Order: sequence, then C-alpha cells, then structure tokens
Amino acid sequence: MSDGASASPRATNGCAPDVFRVGGWVPMRAHADDEEVDFAIVGTGAGGGTLACKLAEYGFSVVAFDAGAYWRPLEDFASDEHHQAKLYWTDERLVDGEDPLQLGSNNSGKSVGGSTVHFAMVSLRFRPEWFRARTALGYGADWPLDWREMWRYYAEVERALTISGPVRYPWGPKRPRYPYRPHELNAAALALAQGAEALGIAWAPTPLATLSAPRGHAHPCVYRGMCVIGCSTNAKQSVLVTWLPRALEAGAEIRDLAMVGKVEHDARGRVTGVHYQRQGQWRFQRARNVVVAGYAIETPRLLLNSASSRFPQGLGNSSGLVGRNLMVQSNQAVWGVMEREVRAYKGPPSLAISEHWNYCDEGKDFFGGYCYMSQGPLPVVWAGTQAKRGLWGHRLLDEMELYNHQVGLKIVGECLPQERNGVTLTDIKDQYGLPIPRITYSYCDNDRRLIRHALGFMRRSLEAVDAREIWDETDDTCHLNGTARMGDDPATSVVNADCRSWDVPNLWICDGSVFPTVGGVNPSLTIQAIACRTADRIKALAARAEL
Amino acid sequence: MLAKRGTPSWNPQTRRVIEERLAINPDEHRFLADAEWLTLKAVCARIVPQPPERARPAPIAAMIDRKLAANGSDGYRDTRLPPLREAWHRALRALDAEARALRSCPFRDLGCTDQDALLGSVQKGEAHDPSWGDMPPQLFFAKRLLHDALSAYYADPHAWNEIGFGGPASPRGYVRMNYDRRDPWEASEAHPGRGARALRENERVGRR
Amino acid sequence: MRDSATAIEAARRLALSAALLAGSVLTDSAIEHYRGSFRNRAMYTPLASAALAVGAGLLAMCDPRPAPHRGRSAVNTVAAAVGLAGLGFHIYNVTKRPGGVSWLNLFYAAPLGAPTALTFAGALGWSAEQLRAQPARGSARLFGMQAHQALAAISAAGLIGTAAEAALLHFRGAYHNPAMVLPVTAPPVGAALLAWSVCSPAPKPRGLARMWLKLTAFLGFAGAGFHAYGVSRNMGGWRNWRQNLLNGPPIPAPPAFTALALSGLAALLLRGDRS
Repeated sequence: MSDGASASPRATNGCAPDVFRVGGWVPMRAHADDEEVDFAIVGTGAGGGTLACKLAEYGFSVVAFDAGAYWRPLEDFASDEHHQAKLYWTDERLVDGEDPLQLGSNNSGKSVGGSTVHFAMVSLRFRPEWFRARTALGYGADWPLDWREMWRYYAEVERALTISGPVRYPWGPKRPRYPYRPHELNAAALALAQGAEALGIAWAPTPLATLSAPRGHAHPCVYRGMCVIGCSTNAKQSVLVTWLPRALEAGAEIRDLAMVGKVEHDARGRVTGVHYQRQGQWRFQRARNVVVAGYAIETPRLLLNSASSRFPQGLGNSSGLVGRNLMVQSNQAVWGVMEREVRAYKGPPSLAISEHWNYCDEGKDFFGGYCYMSQGPLPVVWAGTQAKRGLWGHRLLDEMELYNHQVGLKIVGECLPQERNGVTLTDIKDQYGLPIPRITYSYCDNDRRLIRHALGFMRRSLEAVDAREIWDETDDTCHLNGTARMGDDPATSVVNADCRSWDVPNLWICDGSVFPTVGGVNPSLTIQAIACRTADRIKALAARAEL
Repeated sequence: MLAKRGTPSWNPQTRRVIEERLAINPDEHRFLADAEWLTLKAVCARIVPQPPERARPAPIAAMIDRKLAANGSDGYRDTRLPPLREAWHRALRALDAEARALRSCPFRDLGCTDQDALLGSVQKGEAHDPSWGDMPPQLFFAKRLLHDALSAYYADPHAWNEIGFGGPASPRGYVRMNYDRRDPWEASEAHPGRGARALRENERVGRR
Repeated sequence: MRDSATAIEAARRLALSAALLAGSVLTDSAIEHYRGSFRNRAMYTPLASAALAVGAGLLAMCDPRPAPHRGRSAVNTVAAAVGLAGLGFHIYNVTKRPGGVSWLNLFYAAPLGAPTALTFAGALGWSAEQLRAQPARGSARLFGMQAHQALAAISAAGLIGTAAEAALLHFRGAYHNPAMVLPVTAPPVGAALLAWSVCSPAPKPRGLARMWLKLTAFLGFAGAGFHAYGVSRNMGGWRNWRQNLLNGPPIPAPPAFTALALSGLAALLLRGDRS
C-alpha cells in the first residue's frame, strides 16, 4: 500500500502540510531553482530543521531539502510497526567491520523532521567536562565549544521543545526548570527506580520531548507507547511539529521527497548550489551557502559523492576525516522476568533514567560514561531481541508469552572515536543512481570494558527488584556521530566551532556528524543546541560581512 | 484484539493497514518458484509453529515472498551476506540439498524432528553443502531467516493476542501504567485456573 | 424567633454546602478509585460514606425542624472519620513509592486534599445539625467557640487547602492556560476576607467577603466547565472519554470551591449584618 506522502511531494505550489490540522495547509514561500537563496540545507532533522528555522527567523532565505516524506502524524501514522517502517532510511547500505551495525529503524530516519520523527525523545545535556574530554578527562578529543555557552543553547532548545522533565535534576550544574513537568512512571520505570534506590544511586524521571500538558494545538501524551514508530497525537515534540512550523512561518521553504545527490562548486572552490532529484527529475538549486545536515551517514556520503577534480578526496575533505571517526553509542541491555505484570509497552519507552555513571568516575576501568533507562519494546522489536538469543520454534513462542512480565534496562554508552570506523563509498548504485555507502564499525577495548561494567551493574539492579531469568542483550547500538568532526585545527577536523568547513567557506555541516566525542547521553538535544549556536554565529558573521 | 477495531483504540489508518494485512492469502506466492515456495512454507512452520486450530494462520511465508517480490530492504546488509533475493534463493536451495543429503527428499518432506535438527545445524554453522556458497549459513539464519520470519509473524494481530500485547492504541492510549494493572480495554491474561474468568473479561473488553 | 429562623437558615445552607462537597468527593473518588482499579477493598468506603453524606445533606436542606437529627449527625461524623482514614491511606500511598515525598509522587500518587475534603464535608454536615437547636448570634457555639467563627475557620481552611491542591495539580499542568491561576489566587483571598470579617466589628469587610465568596462560588462551577473543556481537547476528545475522563483534569473537583464558599457565606449569615 503506498502512502500518499511517499508517492508524491506534498510541500509544493506554495503550500506545506499543516501537521496540526487534519487536511490543513499552511502557506509556504516558494523559491525558483535559479534564484540564489542564502542557504540550501540538506536534511530537515535535528540539525537541518532547527537551523532552517533559526536562519529563516533571522531573515535569511532558506530552502531545506529532505529525501523523506512530509508526514501528517494525525492522519498518516498507524499503530503498526510493519507499516511504520516508512519512517526509516531503508535504502540499502552495506555494513561490515568486527561489529557490523544495524541501521534502518535502529538509528536512521527518512522523513521531513529527520530521525526525530521516530526518536525516543530522550533529551539530555552533555556533562560539561565532556566538551574538554581530552584535557579534563584524558580521552577522545576536545570540542572547540565552551560548555557555558552550550548551557544557554540547551535552555533555548528545551524551551522550544517544551521538555517535560523533573522539577529538580539530580546531576550536573544548575539548569533552568524544564518547561513542563515529568510524566508518570510506568511499571518498567518503577522497576528502574526501585533498583536504583536499592543500589543507593540517584534516578530521575527522564526529561522527554513529549508533552505532559497541552501546548498550542498539540495534545498531551496518551501513553500509547509507540513513540519509536511515530507519534500520532503530536505529543512528541519532533522537529516536524516544533522547529519546522516556525520555519515555514518565517519564510523558509521545505522540499520533501527531494534527494540531494551532489553539492556543486565553482572554479574558486566555493559551493554554488545543490543537485537534487524530485519527482524523477534532476534539478539544481542555486545557493550562496550550502549546509549539509544528513546525519552521520548521508552527510559524509554526500560530501564524498561531491568529489571533483578540484576536490578529488571529496568536498571539504583536506583533512581526510570526512567519513572517519564514526561513533555509535553502546545500547546493550539486561532483561528479566517479573512475577507481576509489567506491560512495559504502555507509555514512552524510557520513562526513568539514571545518569549516575556519567558523573561518577570511581571504580571505572574505562574512559567515558553511560546512562541507563527503562524499556518498553513493541512486539516485532521484542521478537528480534529474543531472536538474538538464538531462540526459535516453541522455545521462542513460550518465551514471547512472557511479554507482559518482561522488564529491562538499556544503556546509552559512550564509544570512543576511532579513525578506522567510518563511511566509505561503494560501486553499487541506489535508485537515484548514487553510490551507496559502506559503514565499517568495530568496538575498541575501552568500549567493551564500559559495556561489561554496565551489564554487571544493571544485572544487580534487576536482581534487586526480584527479576529472574536475567540475561544480557549484547548486540545493539544506537545513534550515529562523528563523521565530519569539529575542531580548532584544519588538519585534524572537518569544520570549525561554527560548523563551517575549513576548506570551503560557504559550506557548513550541522548535524551529529560534527561531534568529536559522543558522550553518554542521547545526542538530539546537543545537535539542536549546536544548530541554534551555528545560526547565531552565522548571523554575527553576516553582520560583519564575513559570510 | 480484532473486536476492538471499532473502538477509539484503532484509528482509520490502522484499520486500513491491518485490513490489508489480514487480506493476504497465506497460500499465494508471487515471486518464488513453486519448489522454493514449498520449502519456505515448511521452514516458516518450524520457525514459528502456529497452533493447527488457528482458522487463519499468520501468512509468514507469503509476507516474505512479498518482501522478495518488492526487493525490500531493512536499510543495511552485512557484507558477508549476498543481497536479499540471492540470499533467500541460495538458502532455500541449500536447505533442500541438505535434506536430500540426509534423507533423499526435499526439506518439506522431512519429518518435523529432522527439519528442526537441520535448521539447528544451519543455526550453529554446521551445514556444509556447497549450495551455500560463500554465504555463512549461521549468518543467514540469524540475520535473514529469523529476522524476516519473526518480523512477519509479530506483525499479525493473532501474534499480538498470543503475547498479550495491548495492540493498536490511537487515539486512545493507556491510563493504568503501574504493576498488575490493566486498562478496561486491555485483554486479561489467562493464568492456569483463571481461563474462564479471563475469557469473560476479555469478551467485555472487546466491546469497550 | 428571628434568631432561630436564622439558625435554621444557616443550618440548611450548611447542609447544602456539605451535600455539594460530599457530592464532589463522591464523583471524584469514584473516578479516581476506578482509575486505581479499586486495588484495595477499602477504596469503596469513601464512595459509600460520601453517598450517605450527600443523602443526609439533601434531607437536611429540606428539613425545617429545630432539632439535630441523630442519624444525619452520625453519617456526617462517620464521613469525617472516613476522610481522615483516607488521608492516612493516601499519605502511605505517596511515601511507599520510590522517591517517597517527591514532586513526582505528589503529582501522580494519591492526592492528599481529596480525602480531607470528605472530612470537611462531614464537619460541615455535623455543624449544620448542631446549629438547629441553637439561637443565632451571640450564644450559638460550635467546637468550643462562637459558631460563626468556627464555621469561618473551617471554610477558610477548606478554601486554602483546596487552593493548595489546585496549585499543586496546576503546577503539574505547568499552568499551560492562564486561567489556571484563578483557583490558586481567588479562594485564598476569599479566605482572608472571611477571616477578617469575623474578627473585625466593622461592616465593610463583611460586604467585601460576601462579594468575594460569591465570586469564588461561581469560580467553582466555571472550573468544572474549564475542566470539561480540558477533557475535550485531549486526544480523541469526548469520543475517547474512557481515557480522557480518567487522565484529563477532574471535572468534579472544582465545585468543592463552590461548597466551601457557600459555607463561608453561611458563616457570614450567622455573624449577621447588624452589629
């Protein structure tokens, strides 16, 4: 069955879908392809969508492209995992290395709004020391950003997303109160809380980008628990329902079902616009600046695919680091069975969290940190998890019948940047005629030590709440970062602190690719904060005529 | 589960999607050749042994066949595995070859015990027929066979009933999220000895 | 004669307050305890007790006799006791959860103000009975003090307590609608004016208090209207009533303000406007 949204573009003819009203439209400024816009942004996710909004609000002309469809959540989203696979990047990509990654539904979105349309809404700030990981903590690399500056931008993003979080957050420096109050805990989250109290560590209701009270036209969360297959009530504060409506109102243009295949540049080595395919036709949009925000696989892929005689290694790649230093975060879990009914599928998947091991370094035999959260997997994902244990046949069916008694804890763990991990091009072409990427990934010893520590700790937590038949899920990762890292030295980074390419002054990269280290928290809040900062920096540079 | 179709737990999009899925004919195949199709059906019956009294079994093999027909992708492929269609072609042929080596008949004609044993050896990487080529059997088993079969099975409302999943939930979600709490529109678990009571409760649930 | 007529009048108005407050508790606890699946058998008790208190209050409103009714007094005494027991249960419910007394548990565990409202309903209903046999001004006494002062104290305490509960739950709702500050500010002002007017011999505060309490009484019903709007604007609206009545703002709660404002007005009636 083909969805209207996937078949032909919706944001056309000067109108874009109004995600808040069934069948509604909002006016959208339209630019001609040969009109040189200030900014062409590739990707409308946490980086691109946020930046499109801020730049448009600052008065720049913006066209944002997304390969994905422009969903109307209230109408298009079904309560069905199989159908909702339409939200993910399911075009073929090759994976190898010692620990080949799972992509697609695991970490890659293909929607206007990017991966935030399917993300689990966990909205956490970096521990301040992580911005100086090398100098302060002795591993990874330093960011060229100051945590105090980022603190302000985190607050802006938290306000924009109306984060629902605890009245007092147990970890890190003081922050303004979250705009909305925390959500009620489900049984799986209570299990985390009880376990944490038994082990003597702090826990908190997770700060989530989903509403605990009405806001504007959006409804508060109905606790249907299908967040990662798309929120059909607009409670989830994805980019699609927050930054993009603002962007449209401020005069940005969004082009859905528009795959950018190449960034063009001129003889002086400045970019001139993007080649994109829409409705079967290749077109070219002229732009004074190009921002690449396709997340950590598509961004390097596009830059590498934009190689030319002047830039044989790929656009903006004098350092050779475009595509290198790919980082994921470890996503291992410990599962158990409880006597009581848990029905963890009710409510957002991660209602409770502990960041204890992000802030406490005692007794660690590894660098970095991790947080862990309660879980509520849906049936197909749960069956896949059980399959990783090698279960099938009656043994699997019997185990699956315990679905309502399952309880689990899952980490978001820091993995170190390694140059050997990364994105390269293959000779295989996709449906747009573009070379598909190969993603190579292997853990290092530090990553494995962190995972071991986390599994041991979470096991103790489950034992403390009398879960039995406890087992470790060891094969899972989440998120993607690092493949166009920022730094203060062009030899060891791709962009500077302003997300501006060292090589090409009107090329910018604004997504998770720019992270030099990944930290032990979900990246979405940090990506959006970086986008807000980048917009401010662009505004300042423009005022000084330095663009 | 299906009795709740008309309640606020199902929205129009969900109804459309599930109706289409329930309309899939479990015996119809579009892509695989007949012999391969029969092998696939037999394999799926072992991976997910559905209760024989089920009026309409979940169409696992048919869904895999449709995925092959559409050349669908999950968005990533281990380089040690060939592309989707080639992987399945090879595996189905190899399973028949392994079966012939064992009992001189195709996979579908083996007894259940032999079928399970053969699948077990594939899972452990102990299948060595040359038809596998350079595709590691254990990798096919884990990443393709289990993945595709289980994704298909647990997309079926019967499977949701079996595990006690609350099912579609939009616009109506859930209220009672604490331990041992059911919302009035969720089915009750049938514990031993409580089967009749659960059945009565669940009939009421279907009308909520 | 005139004194006892005023006493009966005050008694009947108090009975109305008590019935209204008990009615609010009955409906609210029915919904909330249903949400809690009547997990503990004791959760049926406040429904029964509040229902009896409503009945007693309605009967008392129609009763002109100048004598306390034993049965109705007993029903009200029991209601007050059930409310206190409920408070104990609710405190236990909050403290037994992970985090104990924390914002999260105050938001989502059993509300402390709700059972207290039943106690207040019982106290008002019982006072209504006691007043029947007593003359109005001067020598009418309740709880060891002048009747109008006792009733003003109960009403003021009730208004402040209910406002505190609204403040907590509206804080949980992040004051997303500006009207949510009304039940947090107006009733405490009414309580203050009420206290002032029973302590001061001047007539002016009584006029102000009366006007403000009438405003507060209206606010109680307006609040129920706001809450009904709140239920309707949640996902699925009224069609999803099975979820939205339970998860949305409690429609029966705001009329508690009306009940307490009316009992405050009854106290002012006893005080009289002739010094």
